[in-house]
Amino acid sequence: MSILEYNGGAVVAMKGKNCVAIASDKRFGIQAQTLSVNFEKVFEISPHLYVGLPGLATDTQTVYQRLKFRQNLYELKEGRSMSPKAFCAMLANMLYEKRFGPYFVEPVVAALDKNNEPFIVAMDLLGCMTTPDDFVVNGTCSRQLYGMCEVLWEPNLEPDDLFETISQALVNACDRDAVSGWGAVVYIIEKDKVTIKHVKTRMD
Amino acid sequence: MALIELCHLRSNVNIIPFQEVDELIPSVEQMNLSDSLRLALSATGQPIDFKQFSHTENGKKINFEFQHGTTTLGFVYQGGVVLAVDSRATGGSFIGSQYMKKIVEINDYMLGTLAGGAADCVYWDRVLSKQCRIYELRNRERISVAAASKLMANMIYSYKGMGLSMGMMLAGYDKRGPSLYYIDSEGTRIQGKVFSVGSGSVYAYGVLDSGYKWELTDEEAYELGRSSIMHATHRDAYSGGIIRVYHITADGWKHITNQDASELFYARKTKDL
Amino acid sequence: MILANTESNSSLKSHNTRFNPYDDNGGSIVAIGGDDFVVIASDTRLSTGFSIYSRNQSKLFKLSKKSILGSSGCWCDTLTLTRLLNARMQMYLHEHNKEMNTPALAQMLSTMLYYKRFFPYYVSNILAGIESDGSGWIYSYDPIGNVEKCKFRAGGSSGVLLQPLLDNQIMLSNLQNIDEQPLSLEKAIKIIQDVFTSAAERDIYTGDEIRIMSITADCFKEEKIQMRKD
Repeated sequence: MSILEYNGGAVVAMKGKNCVAIASDKRFGIQAQTLSVNFEKVFEISPHLYVGLPGLATDTQTVYQRLKFRQNLYELKEGRSMSPKAFCAMLANMLYEKRFGPYFVEPVVAALDKNNEPFIVAMDLLGCMTTPDDFVVNGTCSRQLYGMCEVLWEPNLEPDDLFETISQALVNACDRDAVSGWGAVVYIIEKDKVTIKHVKTRMD
Repeated sequence: MALIELCHLRSNVNIIPFQEVDELIPSVEQMNLSDSLRLALSATGQPIDFKQFSHTENGKKINFEFQHGTTTLGFVYQGGVVLAVDSRATGGSFIGSQYMKKIVEINDYMLGTLAGGAADCVYWDRVLSKQCRIYELRNRERISVAAASKLMANMIYSYKGMGLSMGMMLAGYDKRGPSLYYIDSEGTRIQGKVFSVGSGSVYAYGVLDSGYKWELTDEEAYELGRSSIMHATHRDAYSGGIIRVYHITADGWKHITNQDASELFYARKTKDL
Repeated sequence: MILANTESNSSLKSHNTRFNPYDDNGGSIVAIGGDDFVVIASDTRLSTGFSIYSRNQSKLFKLSKKSILGSSGCWCDTLTLTRLLNARMQMYLHEHNKEMNTPALAQMLSTMLYYKRFFPYYVSNILAGIESDGSGWIYSYDPIGNVEKCKFRAGGSSGVLLQPLLDNQIMLSNLQNIDEQPLSLEKAIKIIQDVFTSAAERDIYTGDEIRIMSITADCFKEEKIQMRKD
């Protein structure tokens, strides 16, 4: 078993029309044993910028705290908030610093940039970025998610349809993965609001 | 032997001489279709080492994802035997099936549960039900659970060390009353009142042991089995799907309920956990 | 991103000199059974590692008037298995003077797979067939013969990608307020086409062409649909 599958969990992000969505499951487990059903892997970095960190839970927390630390430092120094692009560069840098003893997280970033354009990025655990124009997935059920998203996603989804699409993709993918699921949370990021929805899923 | 060198086989592996290889490749009629106990052996006479053959020559992973994972339980009480099982089959962390039948009907008075390698359990249960039927025809009476479980244990024991993986319960009602046996691929065979087998058994035991007593009514017994499995499916990643409950009495086995584990979880409002 | 995959890099080094009886030749199979039909499809790409052996190799085997087998994985195992299966079916035909029915065939395949328990066939089998009442059912197998009877199944290299999709589109799992209508053959073929397009997009071992075979009470049909070939 890979260390990336030790705790389980999955994150997916999708572009919509003037909006972007990011979702994760809520399981925290140690291999087969489910310890918590309230462990979120998606964090708010700034009002329009969210990062999902699926992988080894200890690294999820460490990476998030170090990201927050560096971001605060940046904002104090520069006196302005961080753009999604700058944030991703920083995250990628931070991961590559540990090239030969990496953090076991595969980040997903979802944001609206300063022109309110949707922005999504996925990385591997060393910080190699991909920026497709539809959706990104990472975590233990990424293969299931690819299959789901490839069929369900379509361009220019409105926020409500985007929510339906992303939650269907995540929930059905998790239902075929033993180590993720047990509840899910979806963030829909729009220009003037962020909607957080907790989705009911199978609990077995 | 050049082949040993070429294949990087360990030198202590005993390759069968060429003349005898013919016997290893039986004709189409001689397979296990005519003799259930006759399974093919590899050229070394040993089961293949999956670790040794774990990658193709291109370096791609060869992954035999045999279906695994389970919670099953059974107990004897004043009203007979109750069996309860989940229905999830996993290959690695992929859920291959949510609807697997983990209780096998061996005859009208005997049931087997399966845990471990799904194919192993189903195959040997099928062989067992054939043998039980033959016993019935020869002796003009039903086979006892004790005898059936011994048949099973002996068959499995003859393949000990070959990599079979199974942990099963055999439950039934015979002239001695209700009985329950646990049999596994190591050759263990024990009679008992309360058993739980599989990856989720630790969680099931927690609920089962705290609620079990001999005097349970039928309804209480079904409910105990059901809720034990339900809690196990919640905590164990490799258990889930639907919860099947069976009851065995002097009149034979009866299927009680099939319930979705997740729906049951929400119905009990245990989400405050 | 391939750099990150240290596991397969190191395994390449330690295993490529060693003889290995297994290969993974890829390919995907999807089968759906309805009230009065059964349909099964495979792609036609046969590959090893990053190279392609053939873009024109169907993985479907018509076993009888009422059943079709889809078999992918290690191609040499597929060939051996189907050859033995055909021999066995012929013996049955001569002995009983009738074709094997689908449930009997399904059980025999399971037993034949288990026969090789200690040196298994590296194959993912899906058997699609019409039963005596005219309904279509799917039997799916693991490599050592565990069989499950179901209404739809995806297997092979893209099985993991496609199964959740079929759950969602056919079983309507996690969908509310949608009335279930009986699945028609046309709808099933449409779904198959969609899921294969999805698989070809993300799985390098699946692509080129879809072969679809369907059986109904009165006819057998075969069709081809082109897919991406890169």
